[in-house]
Amino acid sequence: MNFWSQALVIARRDLRIEARAGEVTGVILPFAAIAVFVVPLATDTLTVRLADLGWPVYWLVSLLFGMSVALRNSATESPTQRRHLLLLGVDPVARFAGRAGAAAVLMIAVMSVTAPLMVLFYDPDGLPPIALWAGVVVLFSTGLAMLATLAGDVTVGLRARSMLAPLLVAPLAVPLVVGSARAVESVGRGTSTLGPLMLLVIADLGLAISAIVTAQPLEEATT
Amino acid sequence: MTSDTTRSWVNPVMGAVSVLAIGAGLWTAFTSAPDSEQGNFVRILYIHVPSAWLAFLAFGVTALGSAGWLIRKKLRWDRLAEASAELGVLFTAIALFTGALWGKPVWGKYWDWGDARMASTALMFFVYLGYLALRRATPDPTQRARRSAVLGLVAVVQVPLVYFSVTLWRTLHQPFTIRPDGIQMDSSMVVALLTNLAAFTILYVALLVARYRLPGEVAGTATVPAGAAVTAPNLRSEP
Repeated sequence: MNFWSQALVIARRDLRIEARAGEVTGVILPFAAIAVFVVPLATDTLTVRLADLGWPVYWLVSLLFGMSVALRNSATESPTQRRHLLLLGVDPVARFAGRAGAAAVLMIAVMSVTAPLMVLFYDPDGLPPIALWAGVVVLFSTGLAMLATLAGDVTVGLRARSMLAPLLVAPLAVPLVVGSARAVESVGRGTSTLGPLMLLVIADLGLAISAIVTAQPLEEATT
Repeated sequence: MTSDTTRSWVNPVMGAVSVLAIGAGLWTAFTSAPDSEQGNFVRILYIHVPSAWLAFLAFGVTALGSAGWLIRKKLRWDRLAEASAELGVLFTAIALFTGALWGKPVWGKYWDWGDARMASTALMFFVYLGYLALRRATPDPTQRARRSAVLGLVAVVQVPLVYFSVTLWRTLHQPFTIRPDGIQMDSSMVVALLTNLAAFTILYVALLVARYRLPGEVAGTATVPAGAAVTAPNLRSEP
């Protein structure tokens, strides 16, 4: 099996486990929808324009629940599973790519549901074209999935994992949040989307290179 | 006898040199000319700028130690990375605090979200707090070294981003003062700034050496948890 076949098999395995466990669709996604719904209730809508809060809330929810998607329990491999994959000769980078790919697909699904809810509840000014929004969501999800998978691997097996991994991911994910938010805002402002999109692409490339460089030592650390 | 005990003169000598250097730095900071616009508040920058520079240096050394560990698998590289990261966090905190202190009289507020350098420095601070938290959460020394080496290499990407943030993004922060086309400061201020840069660097090296030489038991990185040797008392009397 070549690299991409291995990555595809790992991604399909993770998605199949999710289809059976329903952790994202049954727990994380409804919780994300509630989060989008709760903010207007906690805001004085007579003095605060909800339209201004829509996109910031959307990216915040995407970041927090995106991390939950990538670090979900059903995606955590036991040391035995990891040793098994190692003995089968699965490339550590392909394993990483497969797991991050599956997490990105699930994140895109969550963001695709929360986006119309955000538009419905907040009615933001100047909606971006669907193609631009879709491109930004794909770049954001891919970067966040790589980052959270990396943090998940670094903290696997630690008792403080559930708190430690988000602590590592949140500050490093800021370029993704800034790039995504600015790209979408640029439509309303009439400025170029090229700069923010370049920031997202560079962040994704940087994370991909980090994953390639660190996959082998992380494999040794977790098996 | 280990090298730690045979070279017991290193820490006192480094400490004495640091005290002298910091003394010289403070003297130049208080005797240099006040700024035409900032007045005496410019003297805060003689601590702020060296702290920020040392934060960059310290995190760079952490990345070097991380790469060294991944290549050579010797725990001394991990000790170097750990020692430098702790100092980097300390100097970043000092840079953030002194920056806020300077910002209030000069910009009119302690914190400005429009300043890319401040926001990115704070993010760098949080990432390395996470790095130290990861170290504390991993009891096994080899696992700790391997995992933190990976994070140390990934996190250092922030250093050039913070450094170049004044030119990459919209910011309140002043651009580079020392540039190829000349130095945009009075000569006494340049002397004070460079003296303090040198003094803080000497202090960093002294603290790094002292922290690196600290035994694992004292540094809190020992493999056996405290109290492991204590066993439950046998209350039953012998037959």
